[in-house]
Amino acid sequence: MSSILKLENLRVRFSTHRGQLEAVRGVDLDIQAGTSIGIVGESGSGKTVMSRAAMGLLTGSNVTRDGRISFDGKVLSDMSREEVRNEFGTGMAMIFQDPMTALNPVRRIGSQLQESLRVRLGMSRKESRARSIELLTLVRIPEPKQMLRKFPSQLSGGMRQRIMIAIAISCNPKLLFADEPTTALDVTVQAQILELLTDLRQRLNMTMVLVTHDLGVVAGNTDYVAVMYAGEIVEQAPTTELFANMKMPYTEALFKSIPNIQMKAGSRLPVIEGRLPDPTDRPLGCGFAARCSYAQEKCFAEHPELEEAKDGHLYRCWFPLGDSIPRKVS
Amino acid sequence: MRKLWSEFNLPTKISVTWVSIILFLVITGSFLPLPNPTEYDPNASGVGLFSPGHILGTDINGYDLLSNVVNGARISILIALISVGVGGLIGSAIGIGSAYIRGKLDITVNLLFNILLSIPNLVLGLALVAILATSADPSTPIDPNRRVFIIIFSLTVVIIPILGRIARGATLSWVNREFIVAARSMGMKDRHIIFKHIVPNVLPAIYAVIFLAIGVVIVAEGALSLLGVGIIDGVSWGAMIGRVAGDFTYAPQSMYVPVVVLALTVIAFNQIGDHLRSQLDSREGKI
Repeated sequence: MSSILKLENLRVRFSTHRGQLEAVRGVDLDIQAGTSIGIVGESGSGKTVMSRAAMGLLTGSNVTRDGRISFDGKVLSDMSREEVRNEFGTGMAMIFQDPMTALNPVRRIGSQLQESLRVRLGMSRKESRARSIELLTLVRIPEPKQMLRKFPSQLSGGMRQRIMIAIAISCNPKLLFADEPTTALDVTVQAQILELLTDLRQRLNMTMVLVTHDLGVVAGNTDYVAVMYAGEIVEQAPTTELFANMKMPYTEALFKSIPNIQMKAGSRLPVIEGRLPDPTDRPLGCGFAARCSYAQEKCFAEHPELEEAKDGHLYRCWFPLGDSIPRKVS
Repeated sequence: MRKLWSEFNLPTKISVTWVSIILFLVITGSFLPLPNPTEYDPNASGVGLFSPGHILGTDINGYDLLSNVVNGARISILIALISVGVGGLIGSAIGIGSAYIRGKLDITVNLLFNILLSIPNLVLGLALVAILATSADPSTPIDPNRRVFIIIFSLTVVIIPILGRIARGATLSWVNREFIVAARSMGMKDRHIIFKHIVPNVLPAIYAVIFLAIGVVIVAEGALSLLGVGIIDGVSWGAMIGRVAGDFTYAPQSMYVPVVVLALTVIAFNQIGDHLRSQLDSREGKI
């Protein structure tokens, strides 16, 4: 297996009027071609910023990006904007969180689908039309011909997300970022979209980065999982290993906060108390220490480094779970 | 077309009809069987409305008012359409471009727009015409065609910041939408994104303001003439108003006729603009 996307010490800073806001703090990630990796974390953990920065979509004048990004043998971080643009669509593509806003409201579905086919692949009007009908069939849209004439406002959220997927895969990307593809959809549609994505990934031989806040979404759809917290990767492992053997208290807390159907009616949902640390003023020690039920003095004083257990299981914790080190439970 | 018409309310229907009549007169005015607007009738000076041969009467010098109103529409409306068209195009291009690029350029453009907008329309137009429409030799008046050109140019300058600001504001509200990022993520070039994704969304807001701007320019042309720097000796609504300002007590119709026609036209354009704006608001609500 070869590496398709490699992030080395990726840092993203926004300069705000409150000072420097470091949204991504030194992420190292190596994604193997043909696999599917899940990036999990709560809102504000930096997962969306990380995926957009990896693709080079953060272009605001207040953004600084450091670190090395290699994609498919090319070093993206050294390339000009023009050169990176050539990788978009054909090399990598992205599905966005909210299908309600990710389609242009005044243009027909057909013209939005054909746009990338004609501009990026140089297809003629006729070819691109045939290909977009093919794509719509691929994402299981009934009556694809009629769909081409419709406007986004005439479609439901699930349908729009299918259109977004069709657009994203239209130029056969090698790497597909799915940025919370199901968050804006209701649960029954969620399952359909995830199943569709997994199916398409295998059929088109794509690598997929699935960004989500839902560990449940990751469970059946990914080979690897990276858990992000406060702009860092705090735990990373093959999916089965992670669920069998959680090392990081944060991952455990995330896992426990998934609502369970067997819970007694009326019982309180388990939540992670507290909030993410202020991104402009990070704490000295572990970012999760203040919210962690296992936190010791050391956790507040020293920042833990990413450590490796067996089977490529990485974690960032002084007192990982499943260890025999005695600790006092606060 | 019929569907569009049925969506109009009564004032809009009247306005569209009125504007259509005026536009028809702009095109056909010089072919209609009317007295020559620049020749006076020595037998009928200052006659009132519905006089034989002069339906709207004549002014104190015997010029036929109907003929002047009909033929004056040509210059007045053309000045308005050209300056709003050119000013709208330039203003929109500057507004959309600077809002898309952002940064220092945008700050500078916005500052310039604000400075220009802080000067009242008429004062700005008056100043520009007064500065530009001067000849080296004060005894020879400047060429009338050149004067018309200078008036159009000045009013264009007045219009640029009005539409530029609207275009800039509308672009700012669209440029950060997810579908712009989505288009970028598929490798679309900036030019493509501006013309295919931003312009179609910004246009409705510009249309609505263009009609209001036409009204502003028609009034400004009339006001410039009244103040003595507009078209003085030509045939335009402004010229009619400017010429007869002193004869008001002897032949009031010579004032009323052009003023009423001008006011109705401005109200009609404003009504159409308001209608488009309300359509736009309800459309925005649906998105």
